[in-house]
Amino acid sequence: MSAVLVVHGGAWAIPDELAKASVDGVKTAACEGFSVLKRGGSAVDAVEVAVRALEDNTVFDAGHGAVLNKDGEVELDAIIMDGRTLATGAVSSVKNIANPVSLARAVMEKTSHVMLTSQGANLFAESIGISTVPTETLVTEYERREWEKHKNYMTGVIEDFNTQWAHDTVGAVALDSAGNVACATSTGGIRNKMVGRVGDSPIIGCGGYADNFSGAVSCTGHGESILKVTLARLILSKIEQGKSVTEASQMSLQHMGNRVKGAGGAIVVSPSGHWAATFTTERMAWAAVEQDVL
Amino acid sequence: MFGFTRYYLSDTSCQMTDLLPVVVVHGGAGFIPKERLQLSISGVCAAVRTGHAILKGGGSSMDAVVETVIQLENNPAFNAGCGSVLNVKGEVEMDAIVMDGKTLASGAVSAVRNIANPIQLARLVMDKTSHACLTAEGANQFARSMGIEEVPQESLITEYSRMRWRKNLAPDANPVESQMGKAGTVGAVAVDLEGNVACATSTGGMLNKMEGRVGDTPIIGSGGYADNQSGAVSTTGHGETIMKITLARLILFHMEQGRSVEDASDLGLACMQSRLGGLGGVVTVDPQGHWAARFSSKQMSWAAAQRDIMHYGLYTGEHFTQSIN
Repeated sequence: MSAVLVVHGGAWAIPDELAKASVDGVKTAACEGFSVLKRGGSAVDAVEVAVRALEDNTVFDAGHGAVLNKDGEVELDAIIMDGRTLATGAVSSVKNIANPVSLARAVMEKTSHVMLTSQGANLFAESIGISTVPTETLVTEYERREWEKHKNYMTGVIEDFNTQWAHDTVGAVALDSAGNVACATSTGGIRNKMVGRVGDSPIIGCGGYADNFSGAVSCTGHGESILKVTLARLILSKIEQGKSVTEASQMSLQHMGNRVKGAGGAIVVSPSGHWAATFTTERMAWAAVEQDVL
Repeated sequence: MFGFTRYYLSDTSCQMTDLLPVVVVHGGAGFIPKERLQLSISGVCAAVRTGHAILKGGGSSMDAVVETVIQLENNPAFNAGCGSVLNVKGEVEMDAIVMDGKTLASGAVSAVRNIANPIQLARLVMDKTSHACLTAEGANQFARSMGIEEVPQESLITEYSRMRWRKNLAPDANPVESQMGKAGTVGAVAVDLEGNVACATSTGGMLNKMEGRVGDTPIIGSGGYADNQSGAVSTTGHGETIMKITLARLILFHMEQGRSVEDASDLGLACMQSRLGGLGGVVTVDPQGHWAARFSSKQMSWAAAQRDIMHYGLYTGEHFTQSIN
């Protein structure tokens, strides 16, 4: 069984000045994740490693580099799912954690629950020795400046152009040598979001889904639109009906555009090793590795 | 759709069936102890009457499901709003979702505290914000900004829920098993006279859950889903398992592929049981007015109203009817 790893660093109109760093970032993360697979590691391990690399990279809106909410604070969401057992872990609105994807994994492996939110998620992190980091370490100067600027915009104006919003959620999907698939998605959400706003990223079936019977998906783009069509699960339902990974992704994204006027992107891998990176936004930073080819 | 009677209007853009409107309500799947059976059944029946009256008067399916669920939240016999189970710290954290099948608009709250009607807040998230889900303190802040009264936690806690919390603090307690249905998540689905579907689900969550635990209820596609192109579902049962198979969305995928409301619901529940060993229940409706109340647990209190007839049941296979008036 040939292992595959695909990562994305967000689907949106990535400005030229961030383009190179975004592409470099996803390439590095993809290689790091793939090296786990090469050593015979699991799909779950691989997606966690890849997403951690993206969280640590300030160019993306996840972990380090996260955007700020209305109150000028960082609230992070993440999900990880194991296609073999359907075991899942997710956190929403957790504060000041450097690697939310690892916290999500801890929810999956150390609790009997699937999702923890907010204060409860932070308490859990503390209880397992994951320390919080000060907001300043997670937020870049660039973000702080942009946040100040946007505070003065009327929200109505911004909403009309949801493809123009920064949607640099990160994610990864993988197929390991044992034939198991997994997905992981992580984000800081949208700039100036309401306090406690939860987007698609940590929502099972929306920001991500993984099932050995059909494949693994991680999504990015306009969160509320992704939620309305349960995009990850939609893509896999089409694969279940016999569509190819590319067709399934394209049809689903088109449906999202038609029905709810939302744009976004998705990375998919099937249990047989086929993969796709598809998007309806202007750009999406992505990278894939299979058989040592990036 | 063939095989049932319908009336064709001369305006062919509107095919009316005499199956509309419909509202179906559930009060939780699982094991309901004898002493609480009557409360559960009378609760869902009273709530379905409320929903029915709204629909008959030409009200929307969204209004119907929200008012129905508000009533169940206010009823201390159910695990939603007043009567919610307690988390491990003895506190109340509630989840709720609404979804509009016409636009796919949705509103949800998770881990919200100190408000009497989380479903009302969920609807406000949908109607008054550009977001689909607010959690915890953020949800409470929003409630305040909407002028929603904060209520003391005590007003939401019943003797019964406190007693069960204490019982389940013991190290050898099994909250999942103990929980199943003794006090249930509530929910409703409806189709109105215009053929619009909607769903609403509300809960206090799992008995003795970790602080901040979010179950299936506020998760779109899991606790509920509504789409005019296929139908609406509201779910109940073991939350984590429902999430892992995105039960509501799964059932609607089956319906999109031509399955009936009963078959689709049963298939979804069977998948949940065979793949993950979880039990639950659903209420499902399609835009033509076909409905089902199905469950893999021993019991689920449910009631439906259609054509001035109220249907209700509790144990598998039960189906009682009486005139709604």
